[in-house]
Amino acid sequence: MNETIKHRIIRLVAILLFQILLCNNIHILGYASPIVLPYLTMKFHRGSARESLLIWGFVIGLIFDIFSNTMGKGMASCTLLGMLQPYLLRLFSPNESVDMLVPSFKSMGFDRYIYYAVSSMLIFHLVFYFLEDFSLNHVRLMVTGALLGTALAVLFTVIADVLLPKDANID
Amino acid sequence: MRYLIELYLKYRFWLIFIALEVVSLVSLVKFNRYQGSVYFTTANTVSGAWYSFTSSISSFFELRSENERLEHENEMLRKRLNDLRSGLKEDENTIDLLSEKNRDLRSYDFVGAHVVNATLNRANNVFTIDRGLDDGVKEMAGVVCSSGVVGVVFKASAHYAVVVPLINEKSMVSCKLDTTDYFGTMQWQMGRPDISYLNNIPRHAKVRVGMEVETNGFSDIFPEHIPIGKVERVEDSADGLSYSLAVKLYTDFSKLRNVSVIKNYARKERKELEMKVDTLLMDKE
Repeated sequence: MNETIKHRIIRLVAILLFQILLCNNIHILGYASPIVLPYLTMKFHRGSARESLLIWGFVIGLIFDIFSNTMGKGMASCTLLGMLQPYLLRLFSPNESVDMLVPSFKSMGFDRYIYYAVSSMLIFHLVFYFLEDFSLNHVRLMVTGALLGTALAVLFTVIADVLLPKDANID
Repeated sequence: MRYLIELYLKYRFWLIFIALEVVSLVSLVKFNRYQGSVYFTTANTVSGAWYSFTSSISSFFELRSENERLEHENEMLRKRLNDLRSGLKEDENTIDLLSEKNRDLRSYDFVGAHVVNATLNRANNVFTIDRGLDDGVKEMAGVVCSSGVVGVVFKASAHYAVVVPLINEKSMVSCKLDTTDYFGTMQWQMGRPDISYLNNIPRHAKVRVGMEVETNGFSDIFPEHIPIGKVERVEDSADGLSYSLAVKLYTDFSKLRNVSVIKNYARKERKELEMKVDTLLMDKE
């Protein structure tokens, strides 16, 4: 089995377990939960086929929805993140970076990677919490939940980045 | 077909994105009860507003035919109304008129009568009607017709009564301007049988030509709101302190035939009460 695919599968299982066992049980202020699964979408390297990014985003969202009983919310949010990922990566990656750049501290630098992670997670959480609320009557609560979820998710992303195996030759 | 394939290849990213988002959103409203109910409520509101908008547009274009239909219906109803009117007796019409104008006519009753003799060219014109004491017609009873006030019964015998009409110089009927409630006394001056004068209207009263004059219900002779006529001219009184309004009378005395005499059942009670008060006041003095 290709080393990169093996690493991706290990990452998927680890993140999925982390999400289900830990993150789904965290409820900051009673309603804000961090969602770390978009980390997998975030980690696609530059130059990935955009269609495959969409489909992967959709599948990752579907897996999250199945295990979290949030049918549709994760799928829609993750697919949107899959659509925006190339633009965000282009926005925050350094000018003189490699073509197949995989987003990480090492490849992008600490600041750029944090900006990238925060913007990706914030977009995902805002869409997710909007679909959860499905109205604009409680915008403040919705934004607060998204911000708190994003903060924790970014923290876990940093931890995961340190702990999880990296793709060979790219990271 | 080739064009379609080219189109798909060109926009496949966006097509896949839209398709995946649609699948996600359909799942969202299908598998989540709250989101589903919000969606269907909103969809109902939107579709309701849309149907209302389209129906208002289509009904606008149907206005012409609708107008024609209403015109036709109005014509039929007018014909029917005329038929009904001609089928009713005039004194019944009078009662209907009074019933409409008065909120409480429970203490009043009406006796239909015919004018059997009348004078029109004297200063003190009188009418004779074919109802008298035996029919319940008493002195000082009001007489009206379908168009308004006629006069007051002056004398009554067993079967006849003499009425002092509005066109008698001695006739005095208390009345008011319907919209302002300013009141005065209606008096006739020898001359035109269709014009009488409403005197003692204060100068600060806002009076316009065309205002309706009606009874004010102050006396026990006529109930309130029985029409008398319309203001035709506004003139100053002889002393210049008030207005004297020339009123075009609704009643055409020259062809008056059917009238109704008003029987006021509450008159006795009212008179007794007023007399009692008068006596008390006199005793105190």
